[in-house]
Amino acid sequence: MEFKLEAHRIVSISLGKIYNSRVQRGGIKLHKNLLVSLVLRSARQVYLSDPCPGLYLAGEEDTDTDEEMETGNVANLISIFGSSFSGLLRKSPAGGREEEEAEESGPEAAEPGQICCDKPVLRDMSPWSTAIVAF
Amino acid sequence: MGEDTDTRKINHSFLRDHSYVTEADIISTVEFNHTGELLATGDKGGRVVIFQREPESKNAPHSQGEYDVYSTFQSHEPEFDYLKSLEIEEKINKIKWLPQQNAAHSLLSTNDKTIKLWKITERDKRPEGYNLKDEEGKLKDLSTVTSLQVPVLKPMDLMVEVSPRRIFANGHTYHINSISVNSDCETYMSADDLRINLWHLAITDRSFNIVDIKPANMEDLTEVITASEFHPHHCNLFVYSSSKGSLRLCDMRAAALCDKHSKLFEEPEDPSNRSFFSEIISSVSDVKFSHSGRYMLTRDYLTVKVWDLNMEARPIETYQVHDYLRSKLCSLYESDCIFDKFECAWNGSDSVIMTGAYNNFFRMFDRNTKRDVTLEASRESSKPRAVLKPRRVCVGGKRRRDDISVDSLDFTKKILHTAWHPAENIIAIAATNNLYIFQDKVNSDMH
Repeated sequence: MEFKLEAHRIVSISLGKIYNSRVQRGGIKLHKNLLVSLVLRSARQVYLSDPCPGLYLAGEEDTDTDEEMETGNVANLISIFGSSFSGLLRKSPAGGREEEEAEESGPEAAEPGQICCDKPVLRDMSPWSTAIVAF
Repeated sequence: MGEDTDTRKINHSFLRDHSYVTEADIISTVEFNHTGELLATGDKGGRVVIFQREPESKNAPHSQGEYDVYSTFQSHEPEFDYLKSLEIEEKINKIKWLPQQNAAHSLLSTNDKTIKLWKITERDKRPEGYNLKDEEGKLKDLSTVTSLQVPVLKPMDLMVEVSPRRIFANGHTYHINSISVNSDCETYMSADDLRINLWHLAITDRSFNIVDIKPANMEDLTEVITASEFHPHHCNLFVYSSSKGSLRLCDMRAAALCDKHSKLFEEPEDPSNRSFFSEIISSVSDVKFSHSGRYMLTRDYLTVKVWDLNMEARPIETYQVHDYLRSKLCSLYESDCIFDKFECAWNGSDSVIMTGAYNNFFRMFDRNTKRDVTLEASRESSKPRAVLKPRRVCVGGKRRRDDISVDSLDFTKKILHTAWHPAENIIAIAATNNLYIFQDKVNSDMH
């Protein structure tokens, strides 16, 4: 449980950093955002793998299909952070490539529409609401 | 700008305590030239200040070779990229001196996007006795001119003139993190997060791309280039470091595009140290070849490492800079301190390495004796000509008097930029907006 709380906290902090990087002078720093997204990914993995009561374990769901889950709060996040945030939430077969579109958008950018989130994360929505409230 | 700016920066004597720091005054790079006679600093406001070492004179034995301001100029201005709606910071990221080839000095200075070649010349003579102009430059009444004279060069007060000779623009999409002049003295390279370009010093409208690690799909991005440097003697070799903690040595003779490295220097991660922040603390923030060209020095968040060019598997030496921070990584992540990019430096004989830390501390490691010392760059502890007292950070256990506890370290006081004179034991330490120059008068043991 401790790990889950710590991971949740780190996720919130990381999201804040990514958000702030958009308004920083000098443009988005690719290196820093890459590192933050790696931390975000690690924290997310710990968060998901921590077996706590009420948490939907990863093994029980079909991890290969992209599902449009209840995206209410996630859609809120998208509207706050912009379409480039979708890359961070994408669950891919390779184990979660999460990357902030830093300098270049356009053909290489993630399509805004494809948002997918793990069931357990969406079930326990309080971390995400915290992030939204904070920003 | 002018004299008041210059005296503020030199810390030879006590000045008012500046508790409020203007962001533009924060020093962002420090570099000695090849003889050590000149020292250049760049700051966040885009200015470059050059200090010159006064020649030692018998008349004033106390001012043995002190550094005084030689020239100040505005190198870069803030710019706006209208296409991308991005402001380009004027902060000077790096300064590199060109080897001196004539009476003039030249240096390269760069911000995030544009590199400029500056030529610094001295003028100490002025022609006097024009026929058509008077002393102020006004045209003379021709009826008063009765004879012809040849203008004569008369001595004048030394004037240092700086002019931008070349502007190397539009070479980089991402932020430039390093520049390095080749030993051939004709070319130099500039590196941003994903690409390295090779330029000719005389050609500004094109450059060669020699490294490109941008993936076809940006979502596949896993590492970026963090620093790069040419080998000091072999003009075909250069190294670049990555955010994953690896070093790649490349040979420009092998191919036009050096994406395939000749050597890959990487140390396997210690699984017992794994944490959320492992990737961040393994990112290399600086890489420097030794003067001999045999070794490389790298700095990551907690350590400095010496690598032998002949051994790729692991560094030959690892020194802990501030391992007591390992348990504080989460709060350092919150405060953004974990992203601080510390530089490192060799001394002239490659026997001692130096790097900065927090609380205005900097560390030196003697590679031969394996002794290390922590020193502090602050006004309180450095009266002119006083000997610096070694500092200690206590991490529990026996606490001596004058020890600092980890919790009372000031993380806003960071020494990111340091430089060592190429031949002598003179070091330049940039502590936020202050420049400290320390000279070693006697060979003292480090402990």
